Amino acid sequence: MARTTTRNPLLLAAAGLALLAAGGAGWGGWSWYAAAHDESAAYAATRDEVLSAGEQAVQNLNTLDHRDLRRGLDTWRDSATGDLLTQLTAGRPEFERQIQQAKTVTTAKVLSGAVTELDTRTGRASVMVALRVTVTPPKGAPNAKESRMLGELTRTPQGWKLSALGQAPVGSAATG
Amino acid sequence: MSTTRHLVNRRRRLSAAPPAPRARTAPAAVPVPVPASEAPAEPADAEAAPPAPRSRLRGRRAPLVLAAATVLLGAFAAWSAGQAAALRDEPALHNAALTDVGRTSEVKGQLATAVAALFSYDHTAPAAADRAVRAHLTGKAVEQHRAMLAPVRAQGPRQKLVLTTTVTHSGVELLDGDRARVLVYADQRNTRTAAAKDAAGQGAAAKAAGDTAYGAAMFAVEAVRTGGAWRISAIDTLGAGS
Repeated sequence: MARTTTRNPLLLAAAGLALLAAGGAGWGGWSWYAAAHDESAAYAATRDEVLSAGEQAVQNLNTLDHRDLRRGLDTWRDSATGDLLTQLTAGRPEFERQIQQAKTVTTAKVLSGAVTELDTRTGRASVMVALRVTVTPPKGAPNAKESRMLGELTRTPQGWKLSALGQAPVGSAATG
Repeated sequence: MSTTRHLVNRRRRLSAAPPAPRARTAPAAVPVPVPASEAPAEPADAEAAPPAPRSRLRGRRAPLVLAAATVLLGAFAAWSAGQAAALRDEPALHNAALTDVGRTSEVKGQLATAVAALFSYDHTAPAAADRAVRAHLTGKAVEQHRAMLAPVRAQGPRQKLVLTTTVTHSGVELLDGDRARVLVYADQRNTRTAAAKDAAGQGAAAKAAGDTAYGAAMFAVEAVRTGGAWRISAIDTLGAGS
């Protein structure tokens, strides 16, 4: 009796604590796994990734300095894919000539942006980016105007890139 | 302890010995008649004797092993819980825009209706604008809206103004519980049936088309959900002025 009473309380306590710890470890491991494999979390992360890629790409495509045309247009190319890239590539020589003549410096600032559609399976998304574009002519004051940009993004191996970009039409009948 | 060991050894010798009537009775948990001084209230069990050395070892080592396991498992529990909490604490997760499809479309729908009602004005029914204010605005948005619409209200009756605002695009930037921020593109049609000199167009880039002017507007609204309805709590003109 003496032996059992001296051994058991300690052993029981130790076993109990170990069991509690094992339970805690199991729960922690499970919740960690669940958090890491949470589909809506992954979707939310993609949404934020798309927004920042979209805002950056829209800003890139509204930024151009005639003094560094080549790098500017290379950035345009790197921000685009699909149809938009085809358009930009086709129009590049003509565009270069125009900007060299106009000698303008265009900068853009993203005021606000939102992802309106996101399909992670097909890798396509739509964004709205409210932009302020400032065009500085060689002589005269900078001219700023707001742009209501609508963009479509496509997932590429190099990340999300713009495949379409335009301004929301004004004065048209309501479209969804 | 030495007494115990001595006792155990003795017990083992006894059990190893050729069947003794004494030992045979032991499994029936009958106390072995040993001097009381030697076996202090020991449940005399010859069967329990063989595992004794092991259980003695377990008696000493097991708590240590269990303690080590407790520490390791506890450390893992704390660490993994921390990892899970860190993952769940991602700012992206606090934003249910698009991830909660139902809520996202509810916010978009209600705010599109609110914006259309708030930024439309009909000189024949100016009371509708007041109703819209009561239904869709809260907090500082009330004052912001009043300032934005002041020119329209001042000139409305005289110019016989009809201002119609339609939300063409909207996107939920943030949706966190009962708070939301929505980016809005809206078209405005401003019709004056009475001749007037100065336009009171709301948005930028107003272009005249007869006595009807079209304007494009972009702004963000912050909204709170109270009593099942989203109300605009602030209007962010995105630094564009009014």
